[in-house]
Amino acid sequence: MATLELDQLTKHFGPVVAVDQVSFSVEQGSIVGFLGPNGAGKTTTLRMLLGLVTPTSGTATINGRPYRELPQPRHVVGAVLEASNPYPGRSARDHLRIEALAGNAPRSRVDEVLDLVDLTEAAGRRVGQYSLGMRQRLGLATALLCDPEILILDEPANGLDPEGVHWLRRLLRQLAAEGRTVLVSSHILAEVAQTVDSVVIMDHGRLVTQSTLDQLTERATQVIRVRTPRPEHLAAMLVENGATAHIVGPDRLEVTGASGELIGTLAAEAAIPIFETTTEAADLEDVFLQLTGNPAHQEVAR
Amino acid sequence: MTRLVRVELLKLRTMRVSYGLLAAAVALTALFASLEASGAGRTIPPVSTAAGLGDVTTTGGVAMILAAVLGVIVTSGEFRHTSATLTYLATPDRRRVLEAKAAATALVGACYGLAAGIVATVVGLAFVAGDGDHVTLGAAPLVGHVAGAGAGAALLGAVGVGIGSLIRAQLAGVIGVFVWCMVIESILGSSINAIRPYLPYTAATTLGGAKLGAAAFGPGYSASSQAALPFLGAAALVAAVAIAISLLAERTTVRHDIT
Repeated sequence: MATLELDQLTKHFGPVVAVDQVSFSVEQGSIVGFLGPNGAGKTTTLRMLLGLVTPTSGTATINGRPYRELPQPRHVVGAVLEASNPYPGRSARDHLRIEALAGNAPRSRVDEVLDLVDLTEAAGRRVGQYSLGMRQRLGLATALLCDPEILILDEPANGLDPEGVHWLRRLLRQLAAEGRTVLVSSHILAEVAQTVDSVVIMDHGRLVTQSTLDQLTERATQVIRVRTPRPEHLAAMLVENGATAHIVGPDRLEVTGASGELIGTLAAEAAIPIFETTTEAADLEDVFLQLTGNPAHQEVAR
Repeated sequence: MTRLVRVELLKLRTMRVSYGLLAAAVALTALFASLEASGAGRTIPPVSTAAGLGDVTTTGGVAMILAAVLGVIVTSGEFRHTSATLTYLATPDRRRVLEAKAAATALVGACYGLAAGIVATVVGLAFVAGDGDHVTLGAAPLVGHVAGAGAGAALLGAVGVGIGSLIRAQLAGVIGVFVWCMVIESILGSSINAIRPYLPYTAATTLGGAKLGAAAFGPGYSASSQAALPFLGAAALVAAVAIAISLLAERTTVRHDIT
């Protein structure tokens, strides 16, 4: 059963289409990367999912119900969103006491989550004195306060130093291992690639793809470099078979759109010697950039 | 609902501005009561009379204004500091959040009013004792002034919550409260006597026993012999204003997207 379900979700801000008919689902127990460049519409989508922004059309449900209809929402979903800061004059401990009371969580959870995010020593300091990274940790503590089964994290690595990013990855793996469903957004694929099972990619307010990382890798354009004494002959045969081949040296070809098996078979049929073939590993980041288009147009949607 | 009110009370307890405004309410009331008492026999009757002492013990109007300011701050502050997102994630029903804020701010506002009423009474009694006179005002009216100040501040606190939800811009809301109470009501009350009892700040101050116009500022200050609304009528009027503003906010700004 899908835990999170978005169906034709659309949001217009005046003339700007921030989110355009986005549909995807997240299965229970999976950890999904929600990717897209800045301005792709990720945050607006998450805020619609969490009942903070009213969709222009379409639906978003959690366990089959809109967020606003969940009886104890904090026990179902923990969320860390951008632009959602605690009152700066309050200490982190007081902030968590308030959130625990609001979410109907036992007060003992306050110390537990402070410990979990390594903020115990700074718990008495006012949140306004926290660094961005500390505020992110406090956000995660708030999200985990009611021990929810689903976590929705919007750019949680923002402001974290490399050590913090490493800590976040470990935490996400731990949460996934506990069987929780995690939807984590980022504008940098590498930030989540080591952690997620699958990805949902948005750009310009639209869904570009939902796939596993393996499927995404397969979409990458593989380049096979071939060393042969008869490159013109082999290139012509490959082109006849729908591949693209460029002669890049007296005995070298670069082939795209053909598998290594096809190249070998064609060469064997024509008795063309092959001295060497190398396959350039697919770069996920390149695929992501290919899928998310022109960065110059990325500020259209929020 | 009880838990939501407790949440909002805990928020108020952990905000320094709550204590700052309380301190300001107490200090300003002490100042105004002392100024009023020092004018006894000239601008007001002697404090040895029931009327003179009553004029001093009903000077807690500033606490009511500050209760309204607190209401504006607790609601508009949620948007200023972007903590509204966290509030609505925990309680998606925004109307219930608004109701809980109004109830919690009314309770804290009542504390402001009670504290101011007690301070004004203590100042008045101190001046009576200083003059070597006997207290001519009974305990019942003195307690009534204190309790009324608490009621007036509670209701204006709820009005402030509505204003803060409706306007959202904190500075504009706070300035608006001061301008309305200190300038607009003074001008309206002194120029159109017939509407004076129905002006919300004026009505709130009459709950605390103040004569019409006695809590006004500047040129509008003029204790009037015109009859104020009865206690329940004045309380109902200010409560109606709080409800009307809150309903308007609930149907407009409170429903806006939290982006």
